[in-house]
Amino acid sequence: MKKALILLIAVTMIAGLFVAVNASQAGKLIIWADETRAPVLQQVAKSFEAAYGVPVEVQQVQFGDIRGKLATAGPKGEGPDIIIGAHDWLGELIQNGLIAPIVLPKDVINQFAPVAIQAFSWGSQLYGLPYATECVALIYNKKLVPQVPATFADLLATAKKLTDQAAGKYGFLIQEPDPYHTFALFSAGGGYIFGKNPDGTLNPCDIGLDNAGAIAGANLLSQMVKDGIEVPGADYNTVTSLFNDGKLAMMIGGPWTLPGIQKAGIDYGIAPIPPINGHTPKVFVGVQGFMISAFSKNKVLANTFLKDFLVNKDVMLDLYKLGQRPPAYLPALDAVKDNPDIEGFAASAANGIPMPKIPQMASVWSAWSDALSLIVNQKEDPATAMHNAVAQIKKLLKCGQ
Amino acid sequence: MVWKYIATRGGKIISASLIGAITIWIGTRLALSGQLVMAAVFVFGAAGILYVYTAARTYPWRYLVPGLVFLTAMVIFPIGYTVYVSLTNVSTGHILTKPQAITQIADRMYTPVNAPTYSYIAFKNATGQIALLLKNAANDLLYYNGKLTPVQPSDPRFVDDNGDGVPDKFLDYQRLTIRQVVKNLSYLENLSIPDGKYRLRMASLLAFKAYAPRYSYDVATDAVTDLQTGIIYYSDPKTGFFTAKDGKVLYPGFPVYIGLSNYLSILTNPLVSGPFGRVFAWTIAFAALSVLTTFVLGLILALLLNDPYLKLRRLYRVLVIVPYTLPALISILVWRGLLNTNMGVVNMQILMPLFHIKIPWFTDPTWAKVALVLVNLWLGYPYMMIVSLGALQSIPSELYEAALVDGAGWWKRFSRITLPLLLIPLAPLLIGSFAFNFNNFNIIYLLTQGGPPIPGAQTPAGATDILLSYAYNLAFKGGSGHQFGLAAAVSVIIFLIIATISAINFRFTGALEDLSKNV
Repeated sequence: MKKALILLIAVTMIAGLFVAVNASQAGKLIIWADETRAPVLQQVAKSFEAAYGVPVEVQQVQFGDIRGKLATAGPKGEGPDIIIGAHDWLGELIQNGLIAPIVLPKDVINQFAPVAIQAFSWGSQLYGLPYATECVALIYNKKLVPQVPATFADLLATAKKLTDQAAGKYGFLIQEPDPYHTFALFSAGGGYIFGKNPDGTLNPCDIGLDNAGAIAGANLLSQMVKDGIEVPGADYNTVTSLFNDGKLAMMIGGPWTLPGIQKAGIDYGIAPIPPINGHTPKVFVGVQGFMISAFSKNKVLANTFLKDFLVNKDVMLDLYKLGQRPPAYLPALDAVKDNPDIEGFAASAANGIPMPKIPQMASVWSAWSDALSLIVNQKEDPATAMHNAVAQIKKLLKCGQ
Repeated sequence: MVWKYIATRGGKIISASLIGAITIWIGTRLALSGQLVMAAVFVFGAAGILYVYTAARTYPWRYLVPGLVFLTAMVIFPIGYTVYVSLTNVSTGHILTKPQAITQIADRMYTPVNAPTYSYIAFKNATGQIALLLKNAANDLLYYNGKLTPVQPSDPRFVDDNGDGVPDKFLDYQRLTIRQVVKNLSYLENLSIPDGKYRLRMASLLAFKAYAPRYSYDVATDAVTDLQTGIIYYSDPKTGFFTAKDGKVLYPGFPVYIGLSNYLSILTNPLVSGPFGRVFAWTIAFAALSVLTTFVLGLILALLLNDPYLKLRRLYRVLVIVPYTLPALISILVWRGLLNTNMGVVNMQILMPLFHIKIPWFTDPTWAKVALVLVNLWLGYPYMMIVSLGALQSIPSELYEAALVDGAGWWKRFSRITLPLLLIPLAPLLIGSFAFNFNNFNIIYLLTQGGPPIPGAQTPAGATDILLSYAYNLAFKGGSGHQFGLAAAVSVIIFLIIATISAINFRFTGALEDLSKNV
């Protein structure tokens, strides 16, 4: 009897697994959102239900899991209608046939930051409704650096004065140094990741990480280590805790560092990274937005949800309050412009380029960060390291074969 | 008689029938959702289990079935599936099945230049049929009975009840409010009304628009034609793409069976075969050193803490187990911070003040390897200590007494009694530990990420990459996107290597077991 009971429970549990499928079905919208954004969407869902009588279910999925789960659930017809995501997933999602284009009228598109629209475009089509942009900028301690340095050379001179490694004091640190945070040094002189084909798409075999501009950036980084300013191996936790303790005057960081700084009570300022040898550095811009699953059975409704219910100043401001990222929707950005944090990051993003969204980017990250590690540890001269990295990437991507 | 039978067997009968009912229900659900194989496996599997647990003849099987089920589900199925995936090109761009890919490509539309857009009014009659009045500045169209015809606003079939200029009725059809339109969306959304060379389709809740199909699929030639440019893309069974003559491909692609290509590319690709020897040697060295160091330290501590004359030994036992109780994920990240060359506690607070040296833990290949073995020692010795402590209890004390009488010193007692008797129960665990560390992706990935990189390297293999972390780099971080097929092939190869090493080791320990019979 006991055994039978156990068996019964086991079978019911297995049955439960199959019953709890959350399939996209006609007449009901399912949204996958991370736990931070889900509550706002829940509110929007209510007004959508009130307007059209269509139930909307917001399901919480970890941000980092959404892409992978869509790939397994979508093709089986068990996925959502709308997902939240980052624009650099686009290449993979489109090549896998997992998302569908969205349709927005011209006048709606014009209400968004151009860099955000560019980020979610693929070919001539738009694949996402952006809501926030994020990028790194120069974050400085106003007590230690009262005035933003006008040029990068000034910045380094100030940093050198403030650095006393023996006493644990640092003037300017770039985390790790990793590719994401150092791209500004490479891009200022004309370094780029992928060149463009004549039709505007990225050409993964045209890699500009070892051109003259990029090598100048690598040399600059190497010199910063030799001058005792940059410390190799300073990871995110080290850099942010030094800054929060008032022991680091300047760093390159994103909006995600702000909560810690505010909690520590540091008087900080945010500004674009100053010009390097007269050239404006470009930072990577990441854009977050909403996309529609290719397997949605409610594409018209989902599109209506995005176009009529999310393109709304109040909703965009609510999303902004949760993430503290500059809104991609210009009326919402206008409303928060007086916030100096947003102003600083928005100014930095204005010079930015969207992070490349083709899947080939994966091989660039690893080879590039290996090269940076060799450069800052003085194991290889910057030019050789960058040439090797580009050769390695081309080999991985089977370029010229 | 019957009542008595039911009274004694009632529970069994009811639960058996319940299980049967649930099985059938799940089976139908699976079958209805198109999972025919799963449905068959599930129903026959459940029926077999039910039979085993009800029939008297199959009594002995009742003890074997749970083990067999778990063996199938957790060992045989994953291995079989991995082998299957390794023979395909499943990867980014090849996730959907071929029919799904074709449906998606054939469903793509483009908006022709000057394509008209229509606002619409939907009508529905009592039998559920829907008619549409499509309006734009140039002309009005009526979609009724599956036919599209031009219509005049003054057509008497339209009735405007409230005189607002918008018809409320069409024949016996009632006009739909926007909420009712939403209820009928699944019908409206799938409408594709031929209008000359275009198709009218729903573009938004409020409008229909003229589209033209972008591609057409031809079953006979298994090819897709781009109707805008005329380019023909042929299905390529080798790459899993529809490919044009000039090599241009259509996304999404589809998975295809590529035989041993993944294995061949691993064996012949210089990206893999170049660093393979070095990576393989370090993998073996890392696994062996990990087992050896943790076992030696664990055993020494176990011997010390097993001494009945040691005071507070319970307290010590608890303290030395601490590393085992912390999540390895956190410990490894903490160690990464502690060992940081320029800011870590180990270099700056201990080694610099005491010896004036700064060890380049993560930037020098040799020191990075030392760091890995040391951190793994810290993580792993408590386990070895616990199992050694347990095994020590099982050694009969008479043996030691006899040895003492014979005048054996502590080393003789240890090497002739303790170690051989300890190795009998522990050898399989040591082999298990070796296999575990052979694939210890966590510590490599979290502590050194395979680094430091090797200057001038042509491949993304760092100085401390083990086979698994290198395979991860190749399959998921190199190339373009996620190459599941390649990753599966590497897994199968690693599986074969570990299986071979373990088999050899088990033979060796089998000899030890023979020895134990003679003791």
